[in-house]
Amino acid sequence: MKRNVAIIGGGQTHHAGRRPDVNQGELVNEAVRAALTDAQVAIDEIDAVLLGNMEFFEGTHLTDCWLVDATGALGKPGLKITTGGTVGASIVCAGVYHVASGLFDKVLCIGFEKQEEGDTGAILSAVAHPLYGRSVAGAAVGYFAMMGASYMAAWGATEVHSAMVAVKARQNACKNEYAHLRLNITIDDVLSSRMLAYPIRILDMCPASNGACALVLADQKTAEDRCAKPVWIRAMETVHNEQFEFDWRDVTTSKPMFSRVAAHNIYKRLGVQDPAQYFDVFEIYEPATWAELVWYEDLGLCPRGEGFKLIENGVTEIGGPIPVNPSGGVLSTNPIGASAMLRIWEAALQIRGDAGGRQVPKEVRRALATAYGGTNWTVLTALSKDLED
Amino acid sequence: MTLAPTLQVREFVEIPCTVDIPYRFAAGKYLSRFLVELRDNGRFLGIRCPVCKRVQLPPRIVCAVCHVRNSEWVELGLEGTLTAFTIMHLPLTDPTTGKPHKPPFCYGSVRLDGSDSVVDYFLNVEPSMRRLRVGMRMRVVLKPRESRKGDLTDILYFDPVD
Repeated sequence: MKRNVAIIGGGQTHHAGRRPDVNQGELVNEAVRAALTDAQVAIDEIDAVLLGNMEFFEGTHLTDCWLVDATGALGKPGLKITTGGTVGASIVCAGVYHVASGLFDKVLCIGFEKQEEGDTGAILSAVAHPLYGRSVAGAAVGYFAMMGASYMAAWGATEVHSAMVAVKARQNACKNEYAHLRLNITIDDVLSSRMLAYPIRILDMCPASNGACALVLADQKTAEDRCAKPVWIRAMETVHNEQFEFDWRDVTTSKPMFSRVAAHNIYKRLGVQDPAQYFDVFEIYEPATWAELVWYEDLGLCPRGEGFKLIENGVTEIGGPIPVNPSGGVLSTNPIGASAMLRIWEAALQIRGDAGGRQVPKEVRRALATAYGGTNWTVLTALSKDLED
Repeated sequence: MTLAPTLQVREFVEIPCTVDIPYRFAAGKYLSRFLVELRDNGRFLGIRCPVCKRVQLPPRIVCAVCHVRNSEWVELGLEGTLTAFTIMHLPLTDPTTGKPHKPPFCYGSVRLDGSDSVVDYFLNVEPSMRRLRVGMRMRVVLKPRESRKGDLTDILYFDPVD
């Protein structure tokens, strides 16, 4: 990068299924105030404000305009960013580009969603082509179900493996005071929960959450002058699939899937040989259990077709050799416009040692965060404790 | 009159709203030919990239991988292979009609013979959905000519090839 960029502070709301006590501005303002307080930066010092959420999820457009009071953006340069499930990471990506370029020194990034206000499934169906596939469209669960069916057929995994992912996520969420679904559940609870779309049961799927996350990004000089524990953004990578090519549901495909290409690119950029050894923690975007197993493989944490063995052997537990989603992940908390930013913020908290009860019990120097947009593109973010890492 | 501080709100107002948006969607050159051929002649046309030779479905102007204009039209078979499927237990709304699909219903991805792409559509699983398997052969069943309208819903469903 032309200039180094750090996260010098951040904040999030307590995420919940119901927040009738706040409107969107009031929700966003909770995260903004938390981030500015954490960064010890006044809003007047912020050079630009970037905001994002899912288009029309709350029945509104142009949230950058009518949330301008709550975000603190009045009179400042700003952008509204919407890229699907990746939006939280795309906002950070845009902020990083602006700071790295030298245009701004301090950028406030905000992602939010108040899912209870809209019909998520209905709005997501408009993502599908009106003449080519929309009649089959309906919520993300069907797509992940097809991924799960393909995964079991190809690699011999069972529903018990996906249940293990569901349990790990919710048990980790129990240690995260901000998480939405803090459920003390067992594998049997998952396997006896209601079937939504074979093979996905309700406990295999993420919730619809209300929440917001905000981060303050800064250039190296500001970060070193003002912040005791800056977390450095070392690289970001965005990769899309082709339109209409839905092969990611066929886990045996040999096509260059977005997630594998993005991982290859960011590892090459950083000189990573063995990602499981290089990164100390992963915060991945897993709206459904099966997606976590596919991410293990796409990120190269294990050979293809063996992701289910990692969960089976406890490798990705908080205390395991490759901790994945100590926060509880998207499976426990999904305010969509904030979800990908939460992955980055959780990774930063782990590096700072500020993750509280969900802190992984080893030194965390490097972390990798992922995102899913329509499960057809991703934004990856690599973070580190020192610029030498 | 003294007003209570706003943070002591006794009633939070939430108003139900509905947005109904008419629009007209243009299919364009490539997809129009595909849809008209499907509607009028019951044929599936793919498009082959002149560089990588992949047959793409639905036809589109540019091969995203090679960044070249697609030009060679190819007729595909009406049979293919199931690569993924689900049995949906939720009464999801069909966004094109506003009416719910009656659960349980099945849909999946089928790779038509001769195509490098998959098509997502409903699967006929009568008499039992237990017969569904990844890798099984499927056949396109179209609606009768007179009820086709020129979009993918001209397909009735994919039927297992027994």
